[in-house]
Amino acid sequence: MNVIEINNLTKHFSSKRFSGDKIKALENVSFNVGSGEIFGLLGPNGAGKTTLVKILLGITFLTQGKAALFDKPVTDVNVKRKIGYLPENHKFPNYLTGEQVIEYFGRLSGLKKYDLDKTTYKYLKIVGMDEWGTTKIKKYSKGMMQRLGLAQAMISNPDLIFLDEPTDGVDPIGRKEIRDVLLELKKQGKTIFLNSHLLSEIELICDRVAILNKGALIKEGSVEDITTTENKYIFTTSDLDDATMNKLLLEYKSTVHGKNEFTCLVNGVEDVNKIIDFIRSSGILIHGVNQEKNSLESMFINLIEQKN
Amino acid sequence: MVLYSFIRGIFKEALAKKILLTIFGFFTLIIVLIVFAITNSTVEGLQMMLESKSEGGLREAVMMLQSGIVSGVPMFMLVASMLIITSSFVPDMLKKGHIDLILSKPISRTKIILGHFIAGVVLVFVSFLFLLGIIWIIVSLKTGYWNFYFLYSVLWFTLIFAVLYSAVILIGLLSRSSILTIIINLLVFFPISWLLYLANRYFESDQKGIVFGAFAEAVLKFLYQILPKAWNMQDMCDAFITQNPIVSYQPLISSLLFMAVMLSVSIWYFNKKDY
Ligand SMILES: Nc1ncnc2c1ncn2[C@@H]1O[C@H](COP(=O)(O)OP(=O)(O)OP(=O)(O)O)[C@@H](O)[C@H]1O
Ligand SMILES: [Mg+2]
Repeated sequence: MNVIEINNLTKHFSSKRFSGDKIKALENVSFNVGSGEIFGLLGPNGAGKTTLVKILLGITFLTQGKAALFDKPVTDVNVKRKIGYLPENHKFPNYLTGEQVIEYFGRLSGLKKYDLDKTTYKYLKIVGMDEWGTTKIKKYSKGMMQRLGLAQAMISNPDLIFLDEPTDGVDPIGRKEIRDVLLELKKQGKTIFLNSHLLSEIELICDRVAILNKGALIKEGSVEDITTTENKYIFTTSDLDDATMNKLLLEYKSTVHGKNEFTCLVNGVEDVNKIIDFIRSSGILIHGVNQEKNSLESMFINLIEQKN
Repeated sequence: MVLYSFIRGIFKEALAKKILLTIFGFFTLIIVLIVFAITNSTVEGLQMMLESKSEGGLREAVMMLQSGIVSGVPMFMLVASMLIITSSFVPDMLKKGHIDLILSKPISRTKIILGHFIAGVVLVFVSFLFLLGIIWIIVSLKTGYWNFYFLYSVLWFTLIFAVLYSAVILIGLLSRSSILTIIINLLVFFPISWLLYLANRYFESDQKGIVFGAFAEAVLKFLYQILPKAWNMQDMCDAFITQNPIVSYQPLISSLLFMAVMLSVSIWYFNKKDY
C-alpha cells in the first residue's frame, strides 16, 4: 500500500504583491511512498522540499495536481491523527518546559492525560532528553531543541512521520542516535519521510530517495540504483606493463590510474569478460573487478550541475 | 476533544505568560480602591441627596452608585485592557515554526479560530466575574441592599469585549502583529464607536445646532448601523442594572452581526491561507 501518493503536484506562490509573477515552488511532481519505507527528499536550498511536506500536511495548499495520505486527500483533518511532524526551524512557546511541550502537542494530537503520563518520558528518554524534561526550553541548546522536536513528532505513535532537517544542529553522536531512532521506528513498521541536505546520512538510512531541483523532480529511485553507474567498472590488478596500458587506453577506452588500477566504460558484461580475457592473456593478475559506485553526494552534485 | 485541549492550551499560555496574574493583580487593586472609596457616608450622602429631591431611598442610591461603577469610562478601561492582553494570542500562534505544528495536528482551521475566540471570551468572562462579583458583594454588604441585576454587567461587558475581540482576531490574522492590532482597536473602533454614538444621539435629538449635509448624515447613519456599538451597549447594561426599559435592541443586534461577520471573515481567510 502507498502511504503517500503525489500526482502532478504543482505549487505556485504569488511573489510580489502587485506584480503578476509567480514563484514556481513545485512543478508537476509525482511519486509515491510505500508503507514502512524511509524515504528521503533531497535538493538544494529553495528546491521546494519544505513546500512539498507542508502541502502534504495541509499547511500550504496545492495549486494543481493531487496529493493523498493513506488514500485520503490531504485536506482531511482526521488523517493527521496518524501523522507526526518535525518542522524545520520549529519554535515552541519558550515559557514551557520540555515535558510541557510534549504534553501540549500530544494533547493537540488527541492524546489523553493518561496516555501522556505513560509516554512522555518514554519518548524523552529515546531522544536522550529525559533529564531535561522539567527545564524551561529557553535554556535548551539548538541540538536539544531538535531532539525535543523529534520526541514531539513521535509522541502520538504515528504511522507516518515527516522530518524536515531532523539532524540540523545536532552533533555527530546525536546524529547517530537519531539515525538509530529512525531505524528502530522503521522496524516497528512506521513510514518516515525525511527532508535533508546531509546526503551521507540519507545514504546511510534511506530506502528510496527523490531529488528535487527548482521545483522539478529530477530523479527518483532506491539509493542503490541512484548511486551505481551501471556501465563503469573498476579493475585492480598486479603491475601493468606499458604495452598493456597502451592497448587499454586505445582499444578499450580505459582510464588508467597508476600501475594497478584502471576504469572502463562498457556495454554489458561481455565487454567486462573480454577485458578480463585480455588482461589474463597478457599474464597480469586480476585482484578485483567492481562496478563503480558514486557517493550519493557526487551523484547529486552531477545531476544538479547538469540541470543548471 | 482536541478543541478543548486547544482552548486549555491557550489558557495555560495566558497563565504561563503571567497574563492572568497581571489581570487579577490589577483587578484586586481596583477592588481595594473601591473598598476604601465606599464609606457609609458616601451612601448616606447619596441617599440624602436623592431624598431631598424626593426620588426615593436606598435602592436608588445603590443603583446610582453601581451604575457609576460600570459607566462608560470604567467599561472602556476594562475592555481595552482585556483587548490588549488578548491581542497577542493570534499573532503568537502565527509565528513561523509554531503555526506549522499547530496546522499539522488533527484540528480544523475553523476550530482553531473558534478556539481562540472562545478561549479569549471565557478568560475575560472569568476575570470580569471575579472583579465585578467582588465589587457587587462589597457594595451590597456596605449598603445592605442586594441588587442582583448588577451582575448583568458581567455579561454585558463580556459581550462588548467579545464583539471587539472578533475584530482583534481578524486584524491579528491579517497583520500578524499584536501591536498593530491593539492600535487599530483602541484608536479606531473605540473612538469611532463613541463618535457614532454621539452622532446618533444628536440626530435623534430635537435641537440640532449644527446642520450636517444630507450625505454626511447618511454616511454617519450607515456607519452607525454596521460598526460595533460599545457605548450603546454600555447604555443597555446600565438600563439592565437600574431596571429601566431598553429603548432599542438595534445596537446589540448590529454589534452581534458585526461579530459574526468578523468571525466568518477570519475563518474564511484562515482556511485559504498558505503558511
Ligand atoms: N510562503 C511563501 N511565499 C512565497 N514563496 C515561498 C513561500 N514558501 C516558500 N516559497 C518559495 O518556494 C521555494 C521553495 O521553498 P522551500 O522552503 O520549499 O525550499 P526547501 O527545498 O525547503 O529549501 P531549504 O533546503 O533551504 O529548506 C523558494 O523559492 C521559496 O522562496
Ligand atoms: Mg526546507
